[in-house]
Amino acid sequence: MNNSDPNMVGLSRRDLLSGAAAATGALVVGFWMPQNALAQIIHPEGAAWAIEPAVKEINAWVVVAPDETVTIRIAQTELGQGVWTSNAMMVCEELQCDWSKVRPQYASVNRDGQEMAPEWTLNVMGKGATDPFGGGEPEFGKRGRTGIEGIPNSLYRRMRTNAASSVKDGRYYLQLAGAEARERLLLAAAKSWGVPANEVSSANGVITHRPTDRTITYGQVAPLAAQTPHPNPERIRIKPPSEWTLMGTEQKNLDVPLKVTGKTIYGIDVKLPGMKWAAVKACPVYGGRVKSYDFERIRSEPGVISAIELPIPNPALIRDRVFSGGVAIIAETWYQAKSALEKMPIEWDVPPAHAARNTANMRAELLAALDRPGHIRTNLGDCARVFAGGGRIVEATYSTPYLPRARMEPGNATVLVTDNRVDIWIGDQSPQETRYSASQITGIPEENVYLHLCHLGGGYGRNGNGPQAEQAIYIANQNRGTPIHLLWTREEDFVGTTYRSMGVARLRAALDADGWPIAIEVRTAMDENAPGAIAAFDKTSRYYTPNYRFSNHNVAFHIPVGTRRGVGEPAHDFYRESFIDELAHAAGKDPYRYRRELIARTNLPYKADMIKALDTAAEMSGWGTPLPQGMARAIALEERGAEGGGMATISAAVHTVSISKQGDLRLLRVAIAHEEGFGLVNPLSVRKQIEGQVTWFYNDAMHQECNVAEGRIVENNFDRFPLSRIGENPPEINITFFKTGHWLRGMGHDRATSLQSGIADAVFQITGKRYRDLPLHNHDLSWG
Amino acid sequence: MAIELTVNGVRHSVDAAPDTPLLWVIRDQLGLTGTKFSCGIAQCGACTLHVDGKPVRSCSLPVTAAAGKAVTTIEGLSPDGTHPVQRAWIELDVPQCGYCQSGMIMSVVALLNRHRNPTDAEIDAEVTNACRCSTYHRVRQAIRLVASRLPT
Repeated sequence: MNNSDPNMVGLSRRDLLSGAAAATGALVVGFWMPQNALAQIIHPEGAAWAIEPAVKEINAWVVVAPDETVTIRIAQTELGQGVWTSNAMMVCEELQCDWSKVRPQYASVNRDGQEMAPEWTLNVMGKGATDPFGGGEPEFGKRGRTGIEGIPNSLYRRMRTNAASSVKDGRYYLQLAGAEARERLLLAAAKSWGVPANEVSSANGVITHRPTDRTITYGQVAPLAAQTPHPNPERIRIKPPSEWTLMGTEQKNLDVPLKVTGKTIYGIDVKLPGMKWAAVKACPVYGGRVKSYDFERIRSEPGVISAIELPIPNPALIRDRVFSGGVAIIAETWYQAKSALEKMPIEWDVPPAHAARNTANMRAELLAALDRPGHIRTNLGDCARVFAGGGRIVEATYSTPYLPRARMEPGNATVLVTDNRVDIWIGDQSPQETRYSASQITGIPEENVYLHLCHLGGGYGRNGNGPQAEQAIYIANQNRGTPIHLLWTREEDFVGTTYRSMGVARLRAALDADGWPIAIEVRTAMDENAPGAIAAFDKTSRYYTPNYRFSNHNVAFHIPVGTRRGVGEPAHDFYRESFIDELAHAAGKDPYRYRRELIARTNLPYKADMIKALDTAAEMSGWGTPLPQGMARAIALEERGAEGGGMATISAAVHTVSISKQGDLRLLRVAIAHEEGFGLVNPLSVRKQIEGQVTWFYNDAMHQECNVAEGRIVENNFDRFPLSRIGENPPEINITFFKTGHWLRGMGHDRATSLQSGIADAVFQITGKRYRDLPLHNHDLSWG
Repeated sequence: MAIELTVNGVRHSVDAAPDTPLLWVIRDQLGLTGTKFSCGIAQCGACTLHVDGKPVRSCSLPVTAAAGKAVTTIEGLSPDGTHPVQRAWIELDVPQCGYCQSGMIMSVVALLNRHRNPTDAEIDAEVTNACRCSTYHRVRQAIRLVASRLPT
């Protein structure tokens, strides 16, 4: 570090550290901000960690300033899902402050790791998923450090951003946080006036003493409220949906003005005084490492400072996934580092068994696994007896490819390690796990690891980030005192990410004389480490059959697998809904009515909601009305959690597709009937999420796949891994919401999965060709 | 080598290897980070900015190609974020993660400069930016909104 740099003054001034401030009960800054020139360098108006006014917080979520601005701490990462807005809405609903004065800010990750959650957030009120007055069924405390929660009962309850759970898990305690703060503001006002607390009430940030019409603002009373404990916080109640006034309304996302001016600070935009850049090349065959590299060949390239060999990141720090070893080049600018790295000769030491892998032999292994016994998940009735009895059998085998998230912002992290402290600037969906990694890699205690959240340029699956942070921490630890900004090329991002597993499924049904299934057997195979193996099929069939068997036949591959948007649901939805289409066709029945009847025959707790979704989508689409030649409609059910009586998300969609005789396919219309459960927090964000997932699963259906050759991923940039553009987007996306009697399971990841089966079935209807492997761009769609 | 650049109306002399992409000079040396890096091969358009009013993929344009020309980035589109396209974007809440949106907006501004009331085919042909969140539905609506407000 160059200590003569005047900008570096800020780096030694730690007086604003969140930990120290929290210990004194004084101003709590969720983020430490370097001073002087650095403030200009990183655009403070776009930074998530803007400096707060010097006011005491009321509770960990709420700070009210004298100018009446209300800072609401956000403990999830904004990656396009609108969490900066929806989380703030849940607090504001109960706080009854002026929404126009609300300013979201990232919560302090370090503080989350040091302080325990307030007692009043620990108990979930109410009777679970079907109680509108309750907190639903948030998932806490089921696992330890690397589990869902991160650190059990940490201050903000949950700092992860995953599983479409920010509303599902966070609603009750965010509403509580707003209510606790409001009640303390009211108590403080009553105290300052010397009147009974039950004579004061508030609206829009103004407290009124009703008998005398005296008023005082939140900003005026906030300092006293900060010193006024709640006498009985266990009695705080939250509003049910029938009383919501802000929640449930369409609110524009609070950070959009930053996003249209280029001011949002993503991880890639972080710039620190004295910072150096790192470019990385890891062995493209997972599990491989560096055999040799020749730094001397590039040492004199412009800007080049040093080279560092990277070991295979400790799998224990990355959810037991094995990535690769590699080399980093450190240089003055990233372009210099990357250019030099490209010229440096590197030899890899590759596990031969991994290098022998390719798409064809991996798929063959998966298919072979389907014929082995497998792990029986569900076995109702006696499928074997029915199939042995003959009758009409329908069987189909489907397959889906490896798929990455391919978020637009390539992996990156900025890390500064000094002798007793680590600072990390990163867009991260699991910040506590990254803090833990930093502590393990550097040997510096975790309480001295400060992680500063940045907005993320796309998410789509929490653990897809791979070792971006671990690599950067490793490099910075070797360069203590110098901030290191690691940035992957797009190609490297394809090496550093996890993938949704390649998968296959064989579904078999026996039909009775009327075409209804009397037995359904489902066998799926994918990587044994892949999450979501039980999705869409577990416990009971969503479509009635008296005999039902579901088994996993998973195998071990070397490609690191993880959560990608929807986790297990998208591929399994494709298998299930495609097969129902095939059964309906074999039965000579309308696929909408076939589904409807089979759902009606079940005992599923939410079958009325499922039928409502189908009916509504069918009606929206003009189901049954004639279409010109070359056009078709397809319908499908989407659900998560419909097998139980807990939280669930249910929708149905009809897709209208045209295909020219030359095989040019167009998605013309999407009609989605979607439940809102007891209520959506921000219906505008939900609409946007659904619109986004329409394109996401259109891409999965039509374009996207990653193949394996010689053990490495073949498609590693947007030339070979295409992203659809605006011209392919459907001209019409119609969404209808309908209320149901339970809380939702989540909105951000497995909606519109029906694009896959829907397009495939439309192809069959128009061309007569049934393709069971995605993506469809591998097939000739011409007809006539 | 020293290269003269005019970015958002301000003249700069930057020292960079002549083959350095304009994107990295803009981001690293001029500190204008609104223009994004994503693919590095001129595919996705996240790095789109204007050179003499025309949209270019700055990740693949050598800085020397912009020497002496007028470069406009998202930061220079309007002094206060009130360009008609930015306003429409806010009204329709277009962005999701927002990472591609600087490039998307620059492409749309270029489109509307050429076609006051673009057809769908013109939109499809000229707005070739990739958006992984898929804001396409709202992008098209926002283009229509801006077009409806432009004087004929």
